[in-house]
Amino acid sequence: MNDDMSDESKSCSLPSSTEPTATRSTVPMWIFVVTLLLLFLGFAFFDKKGGWFDVRVYAPYNSSEELEAAQPKSAAAVAMAAGKKNYETYCGSCHGNDGAGKIAQAPPLSGSEWVMTKGAERLAHIPLAGLGGPIKVEGKDWNMNMAAMGAGLSDTDLAAVLTYIRGSWGNKMGEVSPDDIKKVRAEVGKAPQPYTGEKLMTMPE
Amino acid sequence: MKTQDPRAKTPDATIDASCRLPLLVLFNGAALWLVLGLALSVIASLTFHKPEIFACCPMLSYGHAQAAANDLLVYGFCVPAALGVMLWIFARLSQTELVLSPLPFIAAHLWHLGVLVGLVAILTGNTSGFAWLEFPRASAMLLGVAFVLIAISAVATFGQREERELYPSHWFLLAALLWFPWIYSTANLLLVTNWPVRGVAQSIVHWWFTNNFIFVWLALVGLGVVFYLLPKLTGQPLRSKFYALFAFWTLMFFGTWAGIPAGAPVPAWLPTLSQFASMMLVIPILAVAIVLVKTLRGAKLFCGGSTYGYIRLGGLMFLPSAVLLVAAACPQYSRVLEFTWFGAAQVQLHILGFGTIVLLGAINEIVPLIMDKPLPFKKFVPWQFFLSVVGVALFVIPLLIAGVQQGHSNFEPNAGKFWLKLSMGGLVLLLLGSLLLLTNLFLMTLKWKIALVKTVAAAVVAPLENSEVKS
Repeated sequence: MNDDMSDESKSCSLPSSTEPTATRSTVPMWIFVVTLLLLFLGFAFFDKKGGWFDVRVYAPYNSSEELEAAQPKSAAAVAMAAGKKNYETYCGSCHGNDGAGKIAQAPPLSGSEWVMTKGAERLAHIPLAGLGGPIKVEGKDWNMNMAAMGAGLSDTDLAAVLTYIRGSWGNKMGEVSPDDIKKVRAEVGKAPQPYTGEKLMTMPE
Repeated sequence: MKTQDPRAKTPDATIDASCRLPLLVLFNGAALWLVLGLALSVIASLTFHKPEIFACCPMLSYGHAQAAANDLLVYGFCVPAALGVMLWIFARLSQTELVLSPLPFIAAHLWHLGVLVGLVAILTGNTSGFAWLEFPRASAMLLGVAFVLIAISAVATFGQREERELYPSHWFLLAALLWFPWIYSTANLLLVTNWPVRGVAQSIVHWWFTNNFIFVWLALVGLGVVFYLLPKLTGQPLRSKFYALFAFWTLMFFGTWAGIPAGAPVPAWLPTLSQFASMMLVIPILAVAIVLVKTLRGAKLFCGGSTYGYIRLGGLMFLPSAVLLVAAACPQYSRVLEFTWFGAAQVQLHILGFGTIVLLGAINEIVPLIMDKPLPFKKFVPWQFFLSVVGVALFVIPLLIAGVQQGHSNFEPNAGKFWLKLSMGGLVLLLLGSLLLLTNLFLMTLKWKIALVKTVAAAVVAPLENSEVKS
């Protein structure tokens, strides 16, 4: 350094012609722990607020579900949603949540000729009265018993379940109204006997 | 050191002299733009409070002056000053003369020409309309080419190093050399072309660029310079290499995601991810704080106005600046502080309190070395330090208060007016400080040029020696 540098600069910076060096002490564990903790909190925050990259979700909504819940719904959509819920509670354990049936438990509902009828009157007899004995579904023989699983549901709820069955998994048949159920319920009476396949075939569609 | 291996060691004076020409151009231009930028900031502040004051002159309306001031501060001062400091640090760390030194000398002129073109364009209203990217295409291209040319020289010098193991500043400064061309070209290609991205994607690209440039790039440069000069000036080793490395990776990894405001009208995952990344910045802040505190603990020097004072204070300023960035991203605070003066205060603290003070310290340290002469007015160095410190405090703190007031009274047009007026005082002090630097640098260059001319003239008019007459 030059001699004519002032006293001040002499005391304030060392005449260091060597290049700086760095010590090699390692980063302590706690800072990694803090990093992981913050990452955990950060992911929780993203999970709560981020909508998981769904481009339709804007603040103040936090997720796709919240967004769906806030949408106005048609009566049909409401019935389908209620039908799905009851179907999965009462029917799905045997017929399967995908409506494909289960071997040695219950025949399929998707594509079944018993479901894909013009009206739902014949179909409505099955959950209201039960079904016993041999039947043919999609070319296969089935021989087992089903209790009157739907007798405990209200007209509206059962109508929704049938609407759901007739409108899901590729089935595209019309809605079932609570009035249809009311009519069949009156027909089968208070303590019905399970119907046989043959007897059902005599019912109007 | 020198006696150990006289063959391999290049004297420091030779290394410094090899940097002289490019650094002189870079630093002189930077000082001039700093003065102009701060003057335009003062003008913008005046027109903000009294719009009719320059009614005669549309060039000086708030929109023109504010944009020009911001761009001059970062493109005019911070980038060329940083490039100059980087070249010198690379040469010193490599212990070789600057490689391809004509390249940065030419590029420095190109850079300043680009800034001049951009300044004229902004003042005459030919801007792109994106904050921090107002410079028109011609100017952006000049800046890009100049930056790459300087980076080539820096990297070539880096490649010549004898000590193969990298020093922490190497990572920060090399990353900065790569970071700027990446973000600047991306932002310009996506926003300032004939085929810009459409709709809300423009805002997203723009937020990304602003954060990556102002926060990440400036942090890489500032910390790289601090981690080099702090150990050098204190005679202490940097404590430690691995803390610095940890800060480096976490800063780059999390910093680049931050910046999209919490209330941005874009799909929720973008601001949420951005807030997440901002919160993670706590980690590099902790690491940098540990490095600074541990390195400074050993230093027994106390002298406010020396270059050591600049580097120490500038380095420490990174901490409040980054903490404010994190705080503004917290959902509880962002509800109040977003889109107020608070954000502007954070940006200005980062540019003026952290980046500029570190670079000023480095310039004041380097210029006497490369010129091999003390500064003409050495007293200006501490004076400028005190003006800058008081100026930044007086500028930023009132802005922060104004931001909080504004956030609490959204529909009150005069919220925080008093504090905004007060902050103008800080700008005036900063302007005075920058004039001191400009005076020192220009006088020094002038003296050097006169000496050069005298030497040449003396050689020309010198009487011929007898031996030559005879032959």
